[in-house]
Amino acid sequence: GLGTTITFASSHWLLAWMGLEMNTLAIIPLMAQHHHPRAVEATTKYFLTQAAAAATLLFASVTNAWLTGQWEIQQITHPLPSTMITLALALKIGLAPLHAWLPEVLQGLDLTTGLILSTWQKLAPFALILQLQPSNSTLLIILGLTSALIGGWGGLNQTQLRKILAYSSIAHLGWMILVLQFSPSITLLTLLTYFIMTFSTFLVFKLNKSTNINTLAMSWTKAPALTALTPLILLSLGGLPPLTGFMPKWLIL
Amino acid sequence: MSLPRITHLPSGRLLSTILHHQLLLPSIIPLTVPKRAVIQGEYRRPGQPKKTKFAWQKINFNFSKGLEAIKKHFTLLKKEFTDRWVGPEGKPIVEHMLEQNRVVWEFRGPESLREWTVSSDREIGGHSEAYLKLGRNNNTCFLYGTLSSTPPRDGETRYSGYCTMRSKQPLASFDRKKHHDWSSFNTLQLRVRGDGRPWMINVSAETYFSHQKDDIYCYFLYTRGGPYWQDVKIPFSKFFLTHRGRVQDDQHPVWLDKVNTIGFTLGDKADGPFQLEIDFIGVCKDYAHTEEFAYEAYKRNPEV
Repeated sequence: GLGTTITFASSHWLLAWMGLEMNTLAIIPLMAQHHHPRAVEATTKYFLTQAAAAATLLFASVTNAWLTGQWEIQQITHPLPSTMITLALALKIGLAPLHAWLPEVLQGLDLTTGLILSTWQKLAPFALILQLQPSNSTLLIILGLTSALIGGWGGLNQTQLRKILAYSSIAHLGWMILVLQFSPSITLLTLLTYFIMTFSTFLVFKLNKSTNINTLAMSWTKAPALTALTPLILLSLGGLPPLTGFMPKWLIL
Repeated sequence: MSLPRITHLPSGRLLSTILHHQLLLPSIIPLTVPKRAVIQGEYRRPGQPKKTKFAWQKINFNFSKGLEAIKKHFTLLKKEFTDRWVGPEGKPIVEHMLEQNRVVWEFRGPESLREWTVSSDREIGGHSEAYLKLGRNNNTCFLYGTLSSTPPRDGETRYSGYCTMRSKQPLASFDRKKHHDWSSFNTLQLRVRGDGRPWMINVSAETYFSHQKDDIYCYFLYTRGGPYWQDVKIPFSKFFLTHRGRVQDDQHPVWLDKVNTIGFTLGDKADGPFQLEIDFIGVCKDYAHTEEFAYEAYKRNPEV
């Protein structure tokens, strides 16, 4: 919480980097609390990727300060640091082609921690992405398109629910990044809608204690009313009209 | 600035002796790269021959084999892409969701034996023997051999006498690791005909850290012996965690989404012949079995 708030409130790259680091380190004990080998594996993978992204971010901001003398977040004008920062933030949130860690990490966590990873942990990097000057539009379009395609392709024929949600996250973030340079407000709206849908999806799975599609299929015996509403949540996540999830996609198009 | 004067030049005799020594040096100290065993201080079990060849020197290059391998890998890659359109693991999703029983290994021909590896304590210098062949009518797999608990005379091994049969790790295209996804199932089912000896079933899941490499989940398989087949159903909640054969304090249930191998081990300290015939090994979903884990989870900081 504190790390995200620091990143939100910062206008200096060093302070923003500190906030991101605190964000990462704070969630590490939450991820590894179960002492299960798969959880510890997921924690280690998450730490390594986030640390690499943070190091790249720091290097890029220091390079920018060296080249332009500026530490302001909104004053990244040189193309090299701008590209590096974009890629570092893409790694932070799990945009393709830097997405490979997200399904495995999410698969190793329990549903509550997975929810925090999918929602809260995206806020701080997004706050920085929104403040960046859109100087590398080609890169953003490539990241967005690749994420949307890989998110859709990777999610096909998955049987583990957490992996499905990981690929859904990648696809949604791709859509958000695509429209970022044209209309940041739609990006924010898409992010908010994504958070609400993901929140409800994770909570439904947590209530049913289901982690794969077969267990989900048997959840009608445990909570029939909730199971009847679950398809609506999932279709909304998929972006089908007239559900809420269609609205951001329509506005983007 | 004047150059420093060299007042005394080394004599020609001295120079020639130095040169002679430099020429002699290659014969005393070889200029080739020392053997890896010497550099890394590899442990060599007493009685084992020295490894004199590097790993790349043992490769047997063969053009036709290489071509076959390329063809095989690209065929597997194409199959992976096309299976994606069919469904999870190449089956339609309806079939996946309705599946309650799955036969994973069925020994119906010689190619089924290639998925298994047999080993015994012969690798450490012991005297046990283990062999694998197809059973009668090529319908079953027959593991047989002789167990000998005489330890090898190498001065350091105290115990011996085991044999094991383990499935090979499934591989995708280009020898990438693949895993068995048994998360829809909760029970291991097999049909065996033993000789009354107690076996151990070992399930190995995907590990990430090097200190977890030898983590294996085990349970017992008591065979009845006799001419009748024995149907064994073991819930996965009964499997306990061991590391290098030792039961761990910090227990947790086996995660079935990434299972690598399954194996059968015999080490009951009884010398003599043994045999185990396996008809099939499968997994099933027993809806009546709701136990998550049969053992107490170890809590490092229990609430007082």
